[in-house]
Amino acid sequence: MTESAIAAPSMSRERVGFSAHRVSVIAVNTLTEAVRQKVFILFLLIGLVFIALAVFFAQFTFGEQMKFIKDTCLGVISVITTLIAIVGTAQLLPSEVENRTIYTILAKPVRRFEFLLGKFCGSLLLLLLSMAAMCILFAAVLWIKEQGMIRELSQSYVGESPAAHVEAQKQIEQIQTEVLDVELVKALVADLAKATLIASVTLLVSTFSTSLVFNVVVPFMVYVVGMLRGTAAEMWGAHRLFMAVLAVFPDFGLFSIADEINLGKVVPWGHIGQIVTYGVARTLVIVVAAHLVFSRREI
Amino acid sequence: MKLLVVIVLFGIGFALLPLENALRTERLQMKYGGAHVTFQLREAIGQNLAIALLAGMRGIVADFLWIQGHGFWEKREWLRQYRNIEVAVTLQPQSIMFWDLGQWHMAWNIGYGAFSDPKNRTKAEAIKREREWHEKARQFILRGIENIPNRYELYFTMGWLYFEKLSKDCDDPPCSEAFCKSADYLAMATSYPDAPQFVPRLYARALEKCGDLKAAYEEWKRLWRLDHSTTEQAWSIIEREIRRLEDYLQIPNQQRVFPQPTP
Repeated sequence: MTESAIAAPSMSRERVGFSAHRVSVIAVNTLTEAVRQKVFILFLLIGLVFIALAVFFAQFTFGEQMKFIKDTCLGVISVITTLIAIVGTAQLLPSEVENRTIYTILAKPVRRFEFLLGKFCGSLLLLLLSMAAMCILFAAVLWIKEQGMIRELSQSYVGESPAAHVEAQKQIEQIQTEVLDVELVKALVADLAKATLIASVTLLVSTFSTSLVFNVVVPFMVYVVGMLRGTAAEMWGAHRLFMAVLAVFPDFGLFSIADEINLGKVVPWGHIGQIVTYGVARTLVIVVAAHLVFSRREI
Repeated sequence: MKLLVVIVLFGIGFALLPLENALRTERLQMKYGGAHVTFQLREAIGQNLAIALLAGMRGIVADFLWIQGHGFWEKREWLRQYRNIEVAVTLQPQSIMFWDLGQWHMAWNIGYGAFSDPKNRTKAEAIKREREWHEKARQFILRGIENIPNRYELYFTMGWLYFEKLSKDCDDPPCSEAFCKSADYLAMATSYPDAPQFVPRLYARALEKCGDLKAAYEEWKRLWRLDHSTTEQAWSIIEREIRRLEDYLQIPNQQRVFPQPTP
């Protein structure tokens, strides 16, 4: 982070109140730095390549093609955003400490909480940006596939009877319905909530650890444990002590609704709302915990 | 301070337990999710796919296994294909496509593969093996219907299986009981408003093959009475079948849908 990026108010540290502007400046700078990182570009490129390759599911029937394309794209978006959330957030604080820019920033009238929140918001902007890029390509892939299928279908019905044309028109409408599936948005919202949560876990870890490897591995393990929490609750739900220990881990399995949406199920917005509420509540508390650790940390 | 952080994290964990449990119950009620990663599943899908499953990529793993199974089909490796089909539906039991195509592979492709296997010593063995696969397909769709009881597709699939395959699996085909079973399932499929137009037509045919010509005639008549301006149907086929059955059943002229012209 550049020193000039943070405006230095003239008042003393004790009198400095919370400033959303300072948080936004730190967030924008964090985003600018993050998008320049090779690891982000690499992950994003991998995600985009995978999504673009999904268009080549051509050897199957219409229903299968759409299912496979959507499964692949949503799966890739979920994994890449999770990876970006972990790797992108893991190096935010260590890099500031290593480059010693943190001293310059905190010497200014910038609260530690603002600094931390700014970093976290920057990380969220990064997630939004990467997700938007992947979603745009996903939409393009669906559109290309849709056009190809309609063209193929129209050609196969050339010279057929009017009744056959009615049938063709029905199939075209079905393809268009499959492509313009607004339910997909719900899956993306849940994915974003999950990525935000894992980013907050990473932020918390990075407030007490200086090792980048540790900052990446621990959140990943938390993620795996979180994915297995549903299974554990089903199998060992009666063991209260065990479940009490597990309660500290977020249940990441609750965010997995992409499969259901892809299978044609209608997931109520109420359910999405509950998932997002759960994710936001967990995220807020973890950010507060990160603040508690970071505010006492000796830098 | 460390203690405070731990208390905060555990505290929110406990505070959110009711919401977590409510979400889990809702998922269970709405039949979200598939099989969990168990030792048996990990053995069946391999370590790499198990890791992918742990990362939440159930759909991709199921699709991968399906595509791999497609490859096994092309290489006529039936048992491997069958294993992949089973794992795919275990991972995504809500996928109609996996149940539908899975039974088709079993009853049509694997069944025929077993029948025409040169290793069969006698024709009786070939027939026995083919019938075993038909039965496997039947059991398979039954499981599918248990998982997806509120859609027409698998009832139709089961009706079609009885109509096309199980109707030949008796000592003196065609076996009318199979057609009656087929009619039962097709009746279920027909009751869904989104069932395509060919479903009730097949239902009427199954009734006829079951031996209940009167019921078949009634079903054709029911179809004919639907609003022609708003319902898409193959009206010429329905008319042809009604005329044929009216002649065959010797329906009195005044009761016919298509009365014969008086000479």
